[in-house]
Amino acid sequence: MTLCSLLNTRAKVFRPPGFRSSCPADAPNFLCRRMGGQRDSLLSLHLTLKRNRPLGLFGTLVLILGFHLGCAHNKSQTETSKQIREITDDAGRRVVVPLRIDRVISLAPNLTEIVYAVGAGNRLVGDTSYCDFPEAAKTVERVGDTLHPSLERIIALRPQLVLVSTASQLEVFTHQLEHQDIAVFVTDPHDLEGVFRSINQLGAILGQDDQAKQLIEQLRTRAAAVEAAVMHTQPIRVFYQLSAEPLYTAGHDAFVTDLIRRAGAISVTADVPGAWPKYSAESALAARPEAIVLPTGGSMGDGNSTVAESLQRSPAVVQGKVYKINDDHLVRPGPRAVDGLEEMARALHPDVFKR
Amino acid sequence: MTRTKADQSRQNVVYVPSRNRTTFRKTLLACAILSTGLLAAVVLTSLVGSERLPAGASLCALLSFGRAQCALTTDQFDILFQIRLPRILLAAAVGGSLATAGASYQALLRNPLAEPYLLGISNGAAVGTMVALVFFGANEWSRPLLAFVGALLATLAVYRLARGRAGATPERLVLAGVIVTTFLSSVIVFVTTLMDATRIRSFTFWLLGDLSGTSKNLLPVAIVIAVAGAIVLAANARSLNLLMLGERDAFDLGVEVGRVRIIVFLVASLLVGSSVAASGSVGYVGLVVPHLARLSLGSDNRITIPAAAFGGALFVIVADTVARTVIAPRELPVGAITALIGAPLFIYLLKRT
Repeated sequence: MTLCSLLNTRAKVFRPPGFRSSCPADAPNFLCRRMGGQRDSLLSLHLTLKRNRPLGLFGTLVLILGFHLGCAHNKSQTETSKQIREITDDAGRRVVVPLRIDRVISLAPNLTEIVYAVGAGNRLVGDTSYCDFPEAAKTVERVGDTLHPSLERIIALRPQLVLVSTASQLEVFTHQLEHQDIAVFVTDPHDLEGVFRSINQLGAILGQDDQAKQLIEQLRTRAAAVEAAVMHTQPIRVFYQLSAEPLYTAGHDAFVTDLIRRAGAISVTADVPGAWPKYSAESALAARPEAIVLPTGGSMGDGNSTVAESLQRSPAVVQGKVYKINDDHLVRPGPRAVDGLEEMARALHPDVFKR
Repeated sequence: MTRTKADQSRQNVVYVPSRNRTTFRKTLLACAILSTGLLAAVVLTSLVGSERLPAGASLCALLSFGRAQCALTTDQFDILFQIRLPRILLAAAVGGSLATAGASYQALLRNPLAEPYLLGISNGAAVGTMVALVFFGANEWSRPLLAFVGALLATLAVYRLARGRAGATPERLVLAGVIVTTFLSSVIVFVTTLMDATRIRSFTFWLLGDLSGTSKNLLPVAIVIAVAGAIVLAANARSLNLLMLGERDAFDLGVEVGRVRIIVFLVASLLVGSSVAASGSVGYVGLVVPHLARLSLGSDNRITIPAAAFGGALFVIVADTVARTVIAPRELPVGAITALIGAPLFIYLLKRT
């Protein structure tokens, strides 16, 4: 086997399925023994060369660089023949994915919901312990939780694509996956339009364009109905309490700020930089919110079901306008965000929706 | 190394009975100056915050102790007396507690690096607070109570670990403290990982030290413990002075070494427990403030301990004012600010001496 093919086919050679099977027949025996089936190809090449002739690290590097340049042309040829496409994700990264994807891992509950909603749930081979909707998502193999996924388990599941939500901030992790030649797609919605964009993108990647478009159409209609209903009402000043102790709220970049606006209200913290800022209690009181929204009662439990002590004298509490809304609908930028929008609008404008 | 430190402290400690009156006068003067400064800091920092309040009217309301609303609107009055002032008073209680505890540990262990954190007592209290949050989340009394228990257990563990065949030497104590600290740190990481996502975030802030999310029910407890604890420790200052000569010398001079040590550990862990329950682990206070007091007023504990109590309160009030105003209306955890101010100050002090 030539060195060029060694570089380009390393996935096949050095990563046998599940890591448990013995080395593929075409791999040199001494490489397999040394690598345990998963060492990086450059290192392996170095070891190969070092064993065969005493070049030293520098010599090997020069050799490898030369081969890489020489192989570049070959590589692009293989890519086109394998039918690969390039998509830009929300982080501005160019992601190269195969045309047909059969094995997907989702690292966030909202992305799991989108994968199921566009009808690709049967291709989901891994998700997180937070992924509890729809019911079928619970039976998918768990790769850890959104904040601490297990790299080993992900690689063992041999995904073609891993879906990541920036909310979980997995930059280092993303690099590690890319290093293993696993495509990583990042979504980062800041408003309801962004959620629709995520659905559209995932639909396109998974080859479910029609279903994604249909879903977006339905969701758009429902959102538009809510917005039309509250259009002529006086916007209510809302404080969104993510947690009471310490006081966290939704800032400018949080997609729920957009939901609040669409529900016929204004978040008093809509201009605060960031997505989930820790907020000053006195500023929250001074903003005189007319209503307080508590995301609670969903999969995160009812931990956030009381208003912060500092807001007990706010007009919202005095007038009893404190609304508990299922946090799964408000915190996850997925298809059920529109449920959250409807629930919030009904709570904030009961008179409009009574008719 | 310890021997040379002991020798140094031998030189520094001036305990001459005939000069008692001078010391007393010096203590009174230092306390008077520092308490005036503390009062001024409470009033002045009450005037700044993320919301701008009219200064004149706020002063008028503050000086009437909240009986008169002066020209403030109801909202402004609430901000001043329900949110800002309780937080400033809590900062004072936490700062005073931590600095007093740090000062007495340093005297007792004859180790300039002794601090509630080094001995693992802060971490013990933090684990206690976490247990309270996990199992009795809604019950506010469980937090300080379990923080006390955690701090006491950590102290007990350090104390037991440190008692070797040759008795509890200062070196063994500090080593035991390091072991307990690292063990409890991993317990904290473990519990944090197991907790659901909504609480993880508040826990990390809790551990950095944060004065914002505290129930007002904890404030009176924290103040009472801070004042009582500082008085008890200051009353033992004479014994601590003698202990700085070395345990055997102190024993020969009539100090009940074991009893003093137990008093210091119990009271200091109460102080640390109540402050961690209220605000999480605010760092550097127990290290920087006592050293500052010692450098400016001499190493007599009869002065150092009361001065550290007032100085710690001042330090944390100023740090928290920075934390809540510098990126307003967003906030920083106060622990980040105390470390930012404390570390360079500490380096400067080390260089100067």
